[in-house]
Amino acid sequence: MTGPRASSLAIYFAAAAAMALLPFLAGTYYLGVGLALLSWIALAQSWVLLSGMTGYISLGHAMFYGLGGYLTVLTWQQWPLWISLPAAGFAAAVAALLLGWPVLRVRGPYFVILTYGLAELMKFVVIDIEAKLGKFGRLLMGAPSLETLYWIMLALALVATLATYLVRRSRFGAGLRAIRENEEAAETLGVPVVRFKLFAFAASAFIPGIVGGTMALRTAYFEPFQAFNPVVSFTIVVMAMIGGSDDAPGPILGALLLVVLQELLWVNAPELYLIILGLALIGFVLFVPDGLHGRLSRKRHGSDGRSRERPREHPA
Amino acid sequence: MADLLSTQLLFAALVTGALYGLTALGLNLVYGTMRLLNIAHGEFVMLGAFAAFWAFTLADIPPLVALPFIVLLTAAAGLAIYRGLFRGLLRNPRLAERIESNSLLLFFGLSIVLQNVAAALFTATPRALPYLDSIIRIGDLGMATDRLATLIIAASVALAIVLFLRFNLLGLAIKALIQNREATQIVGIDVEKIQRTSFALGFGLAGLAGGLVSMLGQITPFMGFPYTITAFVVIILGGLGNLGGGLIAGLLLGILETYGVALTSTNYRSILIYGVFILILVIRPQGLLGGRRIAR
Repeated sequence: MTGPRASSLAIYFAAAAAMALLPFLAGTYYLGVGLALLSWIALAQSWVLLSGMTGYISLGHAMFYGLGGYLTVLTWQQWPLWISLPAAGFAAAVAALLLGWPVLRVRGPYFVILTYGLAELMKFVVIDIEAKLGKFGRLLMGAPSLETLYWIMLALALVATLATYLVRRSRFGAGLRAIRENEEAAETLGVPVVRFKLFAFAASAFIPGIVGGTMALRTAYFEPFQAFNPVVSFTIVVMAMIGGSDDAPGPILGALLLVVLQELLWVNAPELYLIILGLALIGFVLFVPDGLHGRLSRKRHGSDGRSRERPREHPA
Repeated sequence: MADLLSTQLLFAALVTGALYGLTALGLNLVYGTMRLLNIAHGEFVMLGAFAAFWAFTLADIPPLVALPFIVLLTAAAGLAIYRGLFRGLLRNPRLAERIESNSLLLFFGLSIVLQNVAAALFTATPRALPYLDSIIRIGDLGMATDRLATLIIAASVALAIVLFLRFNLLGLAIKALIQNREATQIVGIDVEKIQRTSFALGFGLAGLAGGLVSMLGQITPFMGFPYTITAFVVIILGGLGNLGGGLIAGLLLGILETYGVALTSTNYRSILIYGVFILILVIRPQGLLGGRRIAR
């Protein structure tokens, strides 16, 4: 058992060390790319915590990202960062708790559209508030340096990855995955379905809240259309689907691939980037439904009888 | 603020409602027969609108003449997508096992692709059609000809489809499939054929709605998603798979939106639609008009 686990831990440590060295080696451009990569890893990991584990696919993670950004901007230069950023995270988590109670009662397509709708609703509400306040975009003066933001983001990415890793191996994670396979059966077996789902929803909102706050400082500009941009939610989902959404390495792989693509295409050919994103999503759902990591670990475990094939669900 | 009792407002509400009903009907057909929620539905409205725009701009074909061809075009696109993406999905047991989330992701990917292909080809600049802009007056009521045409066509097509489902044999088979899949198979109806037909019909209706919409407002590559959302709100209001209920619900939402906006301001339009949507899902996920709960 030590073999694969030790080697994967070694890979984690090597990757974390490489990312920690980046500020000392790289110039502003690559540090910026590194920051983007870390932010996407943190976002995709937090998405996996809910949607990867429970199968409740959220198309609304931009909601927590935007909310965190908005709160950080509102409290900017009034609260110190070490208070305002965690506060943004907690606010996002509390919002998820409050929303989760009604929202998590529906599932399947309802849940998907509902999360999307909530993110849009939140966007229009913030736009409306800003218009009432007479603000059309806010410029942030004296935002922290790129290095500072990078360290914050590195910590977030590490925490998010660790969270996925630990949850995946805990009773809690087993419960969530049981919900994904068959919610009624899980409930019958004594999984506290409602509590678990709610907790997973809140946990998956916490990190995006802080990431949103940090990224608002990075752009030093806040504008609701950008902060609640549905492309953020899309990108997270595609990253998780490409990499694999059942364990911690998946989102990292997915984020790595898409950030490279983003750097190549986003500025010059945003349409092409999004077209490739869409095609990648279709291709992976049809041909690599477990994502890259799922495919790789299936290969590694081979057909020795202890493969990670999911139990077949009974036909509905 | 407009006078709430004016016939003008009622007319606007009816036009919006008829369009919503028509869009929702297409979405409902595909959902009802296949239990697949087409998130890309609005993108076919967008494609229909662009088809009408280009037919008019490049070949001087008026939208009303182009409509039947637009319907055929989008229906054919629907068939191609059915064959290309979903037949495989339905047949592969490993994918069909989680058909619901997989199909959502497929439609979702399709929607991103279509939006951005349209944006790359046509640019994101909003366009509009100068067509049927004259105004017909009856008493106090002034009706733009394009809106009147939209109301008449959308309402009559939607009604025709509902009647077709009630009285035609193929229509009855579609209805049977919506109500009970196993029983439909047992009595010897070719389920795959019905699915194919409904898929094509659903996409064709989206194209038709798009052709009509092209006459009324701005045409952009990203105009589609709001139609998906409103269509979804309508079929939740009317009950998933309940086609007649969807028409009433479409009208209801049109009225709600038009009067809601008249009472507040256009800024609240999106908040209103999403608010209604979330409220209904939370309070009565089986739909206001849907009596029995359709299991997911």
